[in-house]
Amino acid sequence: MPPIKENVIIYANPDHCLSCHSCELACAVAHSGGHDMIEAIAANLPLHARNKVVSVDGTAMPMQCRQCEDAPCTFACPTGACRQADGQVQIVEQHCIGCKLCVMVCPFGAITVRSETVVEQGACTNRGVAKKCDLCVDWRASTGKTAPACVEACPTKAIRMVDLDAYRIALREARAREIAKSHRHMRVQF
Amino acid sequence: MTHHDCAHCSSDACATEMLNLAEANSIETAWHRYEKQQPQCGFGSAGLCCRICLKGPCRIDPFGEGPKYGVCGADRDTIVARHLVRMIAAGTAAHSEHGRHIALAMQHISQGELHDYSIRDEAKLYAIAKTLGVATEGRGLLAIVGDLAAITLGDFQNQDYDKPCAWLAASLTPRRVKRLGDLGLLPHNIDASVAQTMSRTHVGCDADPTNLILGGLRVAMADLDGSMLATELSDALFGTPQPVVSAANLGVMKRGAVNIAVNGHNPMLSDIICDVAADLRDEAIAAGAAEGINIIGICCTGHEVMMRHGVPLATNYLSQELPILTGALEAMVVDVQCIMPSLPRIAECFHTQIITTDKHNKISGATHVPFDEHKAVETAKTIIRMAIAAFGRRDPNRVAIPAFKQKSIVGFSAEAVVAALAKVNADDPLKPLVDNVVNGNIQGIVLFVGCNTTKVQQDSAYVDLAKSLAKRNVLVLATGCAAGAFAKAGLMTSEATTQYAGEGLKGVLSAIGTAAGLGGPLPLVMHMGSCVDNSRAVALATALANKLGVDLSDLPLVASAPECMSEKALAIGSWAVTIGLPTHVGSVPPVIGSQIVTKLVTETAKDLVGGYFIVDTDPKSAGDKLYAAIQERRAGLGL
Repeated sequence: MPPIKENVIIYANPDHCLSCHSCELACAVAHSGGHDMIEAIAANLPLHARNKVVSVDGTAMPMQCRQCEDAPCTFACPTGACRQADGQVQIVEQHCIGCKLCVMVCPFGAITVRSETVVEQGACTNRGVAKKCDLCVDWRASTGKTAPACVEACPTKAIRMVDLDAYRIALREARAREIAKSHRHMRVQF
Repeated sequence: MTHHDCAHCSSDACATEMLNLAEANSIETAWHRYEKQQPQCGFGSAGLCCRICLKGPCRIDPFGEGPKYGVCGADRDTIVARHLVRMIAAGTAAHSEHGRHIALAMQHISQGELHDYSIRDEAKLYAIAKTLGVATEGRGLLAIVGDLAAITLGDFQNQDYDKPCAWLAASLTPRRVKRLGDLGLLPHNIDASVAQTMSRTHVGCDADPTNLILGGLRVAMADLDGSMLATELSDALFGTPQPVVSAANLGVMKRGAVNIAVNGHNPMLSDIICDVAADLRDEAIAAGAAEGINIIGICCTGHEVMMRHGVPLATNYLSQELPILTGALEAMVVDVQCIMPSLPRIAECFHTQIITTDKHNKISGATHVPFDEHKAVETAKTIIRMAIAAFGRRDPNRVAIPAFKQKSIVGFSAEAVVAALAKVNADDPLKPLVDNVVNGNIQGIVLFVGCNTTKVQQDSAYVDLAKSLAKRNVLVLATGCAAGAFAKAGLMTSEATTQYAGEGLKGVLSAIGTAAGLGGPLPLVMHMGSCVDNSRAVALATALANKLGVDLSDLPLVASAPECMSEKALAIGSWAVTIGLPTHVGSVPPVIGSQIVTKLVTETAKDLVGGYFIVDTDPKSAGDKLYAAIQERRAGLGL
């Protein structure tokens, strides 16, 4: 059996983030069921961004699910709605009961339980289910885009979707170049 | 530079040809810059970003999860309203500064200064004097000019808050003056209206969205006042436009001539340049330009000289960079407003001189030649000689002028329209128009105003909307860059009437055109002039309303700005609403973030002033809405 490839992640460069929150707006709109932003705002849809630009120590950091390989949410979920599948941590909304255990165990605060449908006053359910970054799988399929909405929306390109294999190759090559240069100057026989 | 496909940037074939050339030469244009601006900030788009004080910028979360209030406590409604009315005030300031320029020129002429200018249209001067109640019997011309200048400058100086601006009070229907007066929407002073808008929107001032928007309508009416006086006094100075056959699009440039483009808004310099160009023709020929000097227009200053002298129009706002790419533009002379700061960067790749002329409007990288009315001819000669010198630096191998231009019949001032109607009925010129509106040959009138924006394929919304409304027998008027779009697209011709007008409209335009000696129908779209010349359409509508004994808000008259972008366009749209017109805008203004403000301008306004905004980015459904608004008005008149 071939080894399992690491999940793709969203990477954000805090030095390039201007905290305009465009990624949040784009995320909310990308999960609005096909509306554009002006329509969604005009219709007052209760949309929710699955990412959050967090300001800390004078730096802005876009935060979202890290698609953990040994994800606490998948252990904590009593209904099996949180699961590892198709190269990401998925939440099957139909199976979610909104118990918020995943929210409590997520080390990154990346999960929110809420409803994105208009619920009538006095209804027997809030219709809240767990929401987090799904790497825009459905949105990308319907729009033909290659990058998630937050990456598309970032005006400074601070956010990227990263394949760890490619990242590792780049990292190794950079270090290999430096080490090779040093080794040419070694004087010790061993 | 990232390359991209320009096939859908513009519906203008010349622009597309030039954009492909820009692509091949890696020259960046507005469309490239638009692409690089994507995605544009959602907060700004919705109007939910406030930068009015240094505690900000503050943003309100449109989805209601984040902050609901700015640091000062302003909510989404206050923030949206404050920024909107500031934009309207900026538009008013721009149009009215242009007007002030003309009014001061009139004052200086009356004092015996400005020997390069004269009153070219005395009949118009007397007509204005009659409107404003200035005595003319047995008086010298300069004394009348002096009184008109004083009354006009009074509209910038009056400090009695309850005394409305003279031009508005004298020019609108009595009912409109009463209705707006009762609502406190008649400005007393253009400058004060702008200043008070800035003052009331300062941190910690007016926070009531309704009160703010009413203030916005008041300052928008000052824009109409400034536009009116600019147009009318310019007519007295330079002549009232009469129908003239001209041409539009980049094919109006000539390989064998010194090509000089005038770009901007104010005719004070461009009109003189047209005069002086004829005097310097021999110098151009001596420099090797066998065809002499070819003046071409861009944007509204282009319309000013097109309407009065038949000067051909090269292009409109969004494509103003492209004439440089033909390699055959010696100079672009700019005055004020809607001038892209990128022009000198593109001109660097060619021999083209970008010449700024107004002390308040300089651009880095351009050559500044200060314009002074006292030395108007001298300044114009200096500029033209710079262009002739540049001709010697032109690289003939880089000349690529598109072979396409469109005939355009232009020059339909209100006076020209009435004169054409008088050919049908000399005793009662407006009667044929009224009769045809009543019998349904003409269902209504639409006035197209505004700009171009990269958010819409250039000119396409104008052309689509005009064709769809003309097909339904709606009479089409246009000004500014809307008029530029129609001229380039060939809709200002008799042929366009034959091709696109509904049967009723076609019959009326044919009858008037033939009676007026055009040898065919009037053009499908009537060119009324520059953006300040929207007041011409108001003058015509007012005459129509007064004849019928109704108010402007009763007429089957609508306005549409499907490709608007400037603050001036917002001001125009806002006064169109205030005088009672259903007014369509095709780029969404930054108001969506406030449901209260959106409702105020799209619904509540209707009860208050009769007019209201229709916000719709789709030309097809916008056309249906405008037509429905016309039908609603017809029903109101019992038609």
